[in-house]
Amino acid sequence: MSEREVVLEVADLKVEFDTYGGIVHAVRGVSFQVRQGETLAIVGESGCGKSVTLQSIMGLIPMPPGRITSGSAVYRGQDLIHNKYIDGRDIRGSAIGMVFQDPMTSLNPTMTIGDQIAETLQVHRGFSKSQALARAVELIAMVRIPDAAKRASQYPFEFSGGMLQRSMIAMSLACEPSILIADEPTTALDVTIQAQILDLLMDLQKEKGMAIVLITHDLGVVARMADDVMVMYAGEVVESGSIDDVFYRGAHPYTMGLRAAMPSRELGARQRLTPIDGSPPDLFSPPSGCGYFARCPQAMRMCQAQHPYLMSVGKAHHSRCWLQHPDSTRQVPGLSIPHLGAAAVQS
Amino acid sequence: MLRYILKRLLHGLITVWFIATATFIAMHAVPGDPLSGEKAMTPEIRRNLEAKYGLDKPVVEQYRIFLVNMAKGDFGISYTQQNREVNDIIREGFPVSATLGILAVVFAALGGILLGALTATYRNRLPDVVIMFLVILGISVPSFVFAALGQLALVKINAWTGFTLFPVAGWGTVMHMVVPSLVLGLGTMAYLTRLMRSSMLEVTNTDYVRTARSKGLPPARIFLKHQLRNAILPVVTVLGPAIAAITTGGFVVELVFAIPGLGRYFVQAVQQLDYTVIMGTTVFYGAFLVLMVIVVDIVYGLIDPRVRLKA
Ligand SMILES: Nc1ncnc2c1ncn2[C@@H]1O[C@H](COP(=O)(O)OP(=O)(O)O)[C@@H](O)[C@H]1O
Ligand code: SF4
Ligand SMILES: [Mg+2]
Repeated sequence: MSEREVVLEVADLKVEFDTYGGIVHAVRGVSFQVRQGETLAIVGESGCGKSVTLQSIMGLIPMPPGRITSGSAVYRGQDLIHNKYIDGRDIRGSAIGMVFQDPMTSLNPTMTIGDQIAETLQVHRGFSKSQALARAVELIAMVRIPDAAKRASQYPFEFSGGMLQRSMIAMSLACEPSILIADEPTTALDVTIQAQILDLLMDLQKEKGMAIVLITHDLGVVARMADDVMVMYAGEVVESGSIDDVFYRGAHPYTMGLRAAMPSRELGARQRLTPIDGSPPDLFSPPSGCGYFARCPQAMRMCQAQHPYLMSVGKAHHSRCWLQHPDSTRQVPGLSIPHLGAAAVQS
Repeated sequence: MLRYILKRLLHGLITVWFIATATFIAMHAVPGDPLSGEKAMTPEIRRNLEAKYGLDKPVVEQYRIFLVNMAKGDFGISYTQQNREVNDIIREGFPVSATLGILAVVFAALGGILLGALTATYRNRLPDVVIMFLVILGISVPSFVFAALGQLALVKINAWTGFTLFPVAGWGTVMHMVVPSLVLGLGTMAYLTRLMRSSMLEVTNTDYVRTARSKGLPPARIFLKHQLRNAILPVVTVLGPAIAAITTGGFVVELVFAIPGLGRYFVQAVQQLDYTVIMGTTVFYGAFLVLMVIVVDIVYGLIDPRVRLKA
């Protein structure tokens, strides 16, 4: 569906951590594209490598123990893994903004909200302190915090969680970045606040046209926000495609499992939620075959031995599952819901 | 902020009253009559003193008089040095002791913060390993050992080089002050270094420092504005007790380096059971310490808005 310009192209990213227990293979060859003005949602259970993927692009994983062993993240023709500066300016905070999960701990407790927003403008835009503060007040108003001028001179402890997250958004958007990375921006917030924050993000995206990479484990959030979806499992991409592909023509058994575990209005109150049994594999020594093998209801003998690659199951729709192999004779049973039926696109 | 300061001052006043009362009780718990020390005393002085302090009166009445005099800032007259006022002794000795103590505290605090930040930055590398070894030494060796060693080293150095940059003992010039205050502050500095190091490491791993990095700020700015200020907070918290530790350590260092501070009079007074001097200097020192702790609290409030604005 989307033919817009690709602003960020990540290829074959691999990240490891040295720990006392051994080497954790947290991200194992992840590739994806982010298109201008669109929202890419990255979903998957906690611990599957979503945060590490984006943080390694932003140079935020602690090294050591962390280590990027391969891969590239190309923004405007430049690989950000090795160089975060374009024209002598750090792309972080200017071209790419980031919002984190816990707003209560993600802001400096001894600095005013206004100063924290303003310093990005001082550093990247060369604003004077007073110019930057004036702009910070505008930005605080932009994220719909009332009484912006007064709020700018207050400290994080004087804000509620929702307002702190709004402030984080104002801060990350201060320099009008072309990409906003939001790592579970609503997970730590109340349900009603969650909806407000998501609405705010969507409105700002319409206004500013930035691309959003939205990390979440909440499929409800995905349905609301995303253009494209990437499903991660045990440090790998297991399925990717447009939201319609992944939601309604989901191909990978893990995506099916997530879908069945998600409460949905369409399913009605009588629909039983089916959690996925078992737990993800040990990332110290990832299985040589399919990572989902131990939990997969469709697992076949070959799945344990052979590592599946990402197979095309439609236009810009991929799945890492042997069921989608051209030679496979089996069909994905999918869910027994009429319009969500097993419309796996077989090539 | 004003309310915060006033509240602190009120607490301080109450603390000083406690100290005064405890000192009074301790003095009266000591067996024997304050005037029957081993030093012979002319009947004239004895009568004067009995009249002044009402030592023949009931204890409660004595306590009242003691408090009233104390509130007026009158600590009385020395028992052993005829007609010498305790206030005179304090006026003479305190500025010297305070200079020594404050220099030591400044040295300990700045040194601790700098070394702590340095070791955290070079964690597990050579500067860290070397400094942390010295820190263990600094914490475990008492200050009188450093005093003696420092003096011995000075003697050797002065003899070897043939001229005296830092005098071995005495007081008067800045050069006289350097070595004693270094020696006095060393233990506290070691302790603060360790505290600052762990605090800095903790702050480095916080979400807000990660946020600062995600904003693409230059490392120097992240260090100063986001790490240092937050990491200093625990160090400032213990500065009050640290000042107390340095003050008591000062008595010994004053003795070793022959510094004419209050400590010398205090030790003398204890040896001679000169009760007014003991009580006067104790309460005065107590009040001074309380004041320093209040100053520390105010500084803390200035650094941490949560304390300043919530109080
Ligand atoms: N600093 C670290 N040291 C060791 N392991 C880490 C570190 N950070 C992340 N990991 C590991 O990397 C994996 C992926 O983590 P993460 O990306 O945070 O998951 P999530 O998908 O929930 O965001 C986890 O197994 C986690 O234990
Ligand atoms: S490859 Fe096999 S085990 Fe893995 S998801 Fe597909 S069917 Fe299941
Ligand atoms: Mg995460």
